Amino acid sequence: MIEVAGSLKRRLAVWLLVTVTGLGALLMIEARVSSQRAAERAYDSQLEAAALTIAEAVQWQQGEPLIEVPAAALQILATRHQERVFYAVLDADGEAVSANLPFAIEPSWRERAAAEPLALTARLDGEAWRLYGREVDSAGWVSQEPVQVWVGHTRAGRMALAGELFERTLTRFVAMVLLAGVLMALALRVALGPMRRLRRVLRRRDADDMRPLDARVPEEMRELAQTLDHLFARQRQSREALLRFTADASHQLKTPLAGLQSVSELALKSEDPADWQAALTTVHEGAGRTSRLAGQLLSLARLRHLGEADEIAPLDLAALLRETLLEWAGREAARDHDLGLAEPPAGPVWVRAEGWAIRELLGNLIDNALRYTPPGSVITLGLERLGGLEVLKGLEGGDPDRERVDEVALFVEDDGPGVPVEARERLLQPFERGGRQDTDGSGLGLSIVDSIAHRLGGRLTLAAREPHGLVVRLHLPLCDPKEAP
Amino acid sequence: MRLLVIEDDALIARSLERALAPLGNTVEVFSTHAEARAALRHDRFDLILLDLGLPDGDGLALLAALRDRGDTTPVLILTARDGIDDRVSGLDLGADDYLAKPFSIAELEARVRALLRRSQQRSDNRLRYGRLCFDPATGAATLDDATLALPRRELLLLEGLLLHAGSIAPREALERRLFGFDEVGSNALEVYVSRLRKRLSGTGLRIRTFRGLGYRLEDDAG
Amino acid sequence: MTPRHALHPLLLAMWLALLMMGATPLRAAPTPLVVEAALDREVVAPLLEAFRAAHPEIRLTFRDRSTLEVDALVAEADPAPDVVISSAMPWQMARVNQGYARRLDSPAARRWPAWAKWRDEVFGFTFEPIVMAYRLDLSRHMAPPQTHADLHRLLTTEQDMLEGKVTAYSPLKSGVGYTLYQQDARYTPRFWDLVAGMGRVDAQLEGSTRAMLEGLSEGRYWLGYNLLGSYAMIWAQQHPEVIVQVPKDYSLVMMRMAFIHRDAPHPAAAEAFVDYLLGREGQRVLAGQTPLFSVRPDIVGPYTAARLRDQVGERLFPIPLNASLLAFVDPQRRAAFLERWRREFRRQD
Repeated sequence: MIEVAGSLKRRLAVWLLVTVTGLGALLMIEARVSSQRAAERAYDSQLEAAALTIAEAVQWQQGEPLIEVPAAALQILATRHQERVFYAVLDADGEAVSANLPFAIEPSWRERAAAEPLALTARLDGEAWRLYGREVDSAGWVSQEPVQVWVGHTRAGRMALAGELFERTLTRFVAMVLLAGVLMALALRVALGPMRRLRRVLRRRDADDMRPLDARVPEEMRELAQTLDHLFARQRQSREALLRFTADASHQLKTPLAGLQSVSELALKSEDPADWQAALTTVHEGAGRTSRLAGQLLSLARLRHLGEADEIAPLDLAALLRETLLEWAGREAARDHDLGLAEPPAGPVWVRAEGWAIRELLGNLIDNALRYTPPGSVITLGLERLGGLEVLKGLEGGDPDRERVDEVALFVEDDGPGVPVEARERLLQPFERGGRQDTDGSGLGLSIVDSIAHRLGGRLTLAAREPHGLVVRLHLPLCDPKEAP
Repeated sequence: MRLLVIEDDALIARSLERALAPLGNTVEVFSTHAEARAALRHDRFDLILLDLGLPDGDGLALLAALRDRGDTTPVLILTARDGIDDRVSGLDLGADDYLAKPFSIAELEARVRALLRRSQQRSDNRLRYGRLCFDPATGAATLDDATLALPRRELLLLEGLLLHAGSIAPREALERRLFGFDEVGSNALEVYVSRLRKRLSGTGLRIRTFRGLGYRLEDDAG
Repeated sequence: MTPRHALHPLLLAMWLALLMMGATPLRAAPTPLVVEAALDREVVAPLLEAFRAAHPEIRLTFRDRSTLEVDALVAEADPAPDVVISSAMPWQMARVNQGYARRLDSPAARRWPAWAKWRDEVFGFTFEPIVMAYRLDLSRHMAPPQTHADLHRLLTTEQDMLEGKVTAYSPLKSGVGYTLYQQDARYTPRFWDLVAGMGRVDAQLEGSTRAMLEGLSEGRYWLGYNLLGSYAMIWAQQHPEVIVQVPKDYSLVMMRMAFIHRDAPHPAAAEAFVDYLLGREGQRVLAGQTPLFSVRPDIVGPYTAARLRDQVGERLFPIPLNASLLAFVDPQRRAAFLERWRREFRRQD
């Protein structure tokens, strides 16, 4: 049953989308971080420049720092974005020599700035400020205490810049994704082209076209195409076998029917009722045989050309045997024979089989037994459990697998005339009748039984009985006890 | 006995008619389901022979409809050889027996006789076979209306055999009937059968043994 | 007609009456608005009238103070003023930098020229040239100065005649005066020669342009330097003995700055006022009826920046409205400047 689950295109699309989104998200995060870093660097360099300018304006008078804040430095601090600005020149004790806003510069900051210029972000006066501090190196006639220049501004400008940079990256990314999406859609179309081609090739075939597949496929589809080809080949073979069989069967039917035709034709020419009686008897028998043959041909054909063994399930062979035998024993056809059941093993006997197949098989075996033994013969059917048999799974060379499989043997034995050894081998072939032409069997019965046996994973054996008679055994593997219901 | 034959093949229909009429039966033959249904609505029959392969409809459907109506007329279905499933479903749906085509006339006659006998039994709730008669209500067995005095187990055995008159009474069924669920030796049943057999000797009735399967009550004649 | 129906028109009438009665008190009390300004009330009166007419729902209180007073009020007044206007640009900028201003987001504010506003919080809404002024009869004694160089020459050559008769701002007492001197000093070091010159003639340092103009009219002063052109032009219109001269070499331009206080008790009214100030209507009044000069290029009138440029040429140098102003309020820098001023003023050479 063909179930449509999802679509290749959708799958590909979803996965691509997921990948792109995932990677895109990472990219965006990176972009954001780097935008921010770029903006920080750009604006920090302004702080640096302003600080330097102010530092240069620091002068010394009698060991005391003096600063005339250069106006330009403040405009540098403000930047294009018109930030609020802060500046302070601190003496060695952290006291402001000059400052425009009363921000407290932490001692820890001053310590760090003493080592090297420090940039940091702090929250002051309810807003986020970026501060930059550096120690001023200067020479003079009198030794100087270190002086620190601290500048700062609000962060609106750098956040705006970061946002702008990020937005630019984002738009570019989105545009790229859209473009990629379009291209990918096209690529998908192109990539799935071979499938469409194959589909077209298949569609163009007739329903019963069994010729080999003629198509160009990419590597990935090679297996699929090959499997299809094998399928076609098998179907071809199957059909050929069917045709052969039909030809065979037709031939087989024509022969007895031809015989009947001549017998009846001759009888019509005669005036003697005795002749008519004899002829009618022959015709009756022949008709019976022919119709049986027809039936068996059908069974055989069915068995040979059946599809999956989809109804193979555990079933109780003992019960089925008893049931089938009960039916047969009560019939007219069995009236003159002693048809009986041997003492069965205790409990149910589970095998994996199809009910109808076993019935067909039993029917054929019993029919054969009734037909090929004289009235009064004793025909017994039964089951034998054979445990612990080693069944060799032959593999060429090396150690064959040995598997212990429990078996059951279904046997049909009679004390009739039996079958000579040479004929026994051939008996399983269709239309072989063991050299006996005097009964109205068709010769297909055992062939059918053999086919069924194979189907169920078993095997058929024939053996002679002493002093005379035949025993037919069907070996079937027992079901795994766990699977038995 | 009124027999209804639903068969579309002229040759088979004619043979059926010829075979069954001499047994003292009236045989009506119809070749389509429609006609058969109409006939069934108006008349009662003692046996129906139904070929499942009729072109104008599903034989099993007719059978099912019949049984749904509560009609218990015995039905013998005729199936083509490969209609095994048909047979099984047929029996499930309420057919009493089946016969595969091609069939021998002898087989047909035997089956028809058996079915008729069974239906006769059902009509008056007494089990009959030839000269034997058993009333399940009173538990009395009679041979030509002469009471047969039988011990309990043999009576049960007789009843069992009569219930399956015409076909084989399975040994398990008989064992359960005689001994309940007790464990008994495989010979136990045989003992009673030979006793009953002895009683019936000379009456024209016999009990045939089917090894491993069961027993059947039969006329000596056949 | 049932009694019920008869009642209806009566009810309606009663309801209407109530509505009318309630309506008058419902026309709510006007919102008060306090504007602290270092801006002559007389000069800006037409603008205030126009505003009152345009916004009857606002009761405007305009207080005219000195620049230093206004600056102190920004930090100390409680409740804070709604709008703060001052000509002392560095001090306004400092207050804005300290975070005292409140952002104005309106179409007029957005359209305001970028060089005349800062952070969308403070707006320079006038364009007042800084001028020299002299008595008409000065020309009988000497060639009236037209440039800074002329002035310096006069202070040197006519030292005796001009003794005690020159006036200028006191950098100590006047914020705007100090600012103008700082700006002068930025352009040329020769400014200090001018200061020395003024010192030599014992120039009288006043605290306001008005005081200087009064002195000129009364005849106490013959010559004034760095007066606010707006006031001077108005004065000169009514006092023909005073001549206003926009210096030809360069003329500073002062922009009066207005901002909404961040703690304004009536922010909506304050926004309405500043918005009016920057809008077409307000600027048209400014350009037509006040000497404060409009900055907007799309306004036509006698007192527009464009017109001023046409009249006096391209050598107008507005004091830049940006963070560099903050340098002027730096105490050390201020102290140093004033120290130098004193030194130069007293120079005897």
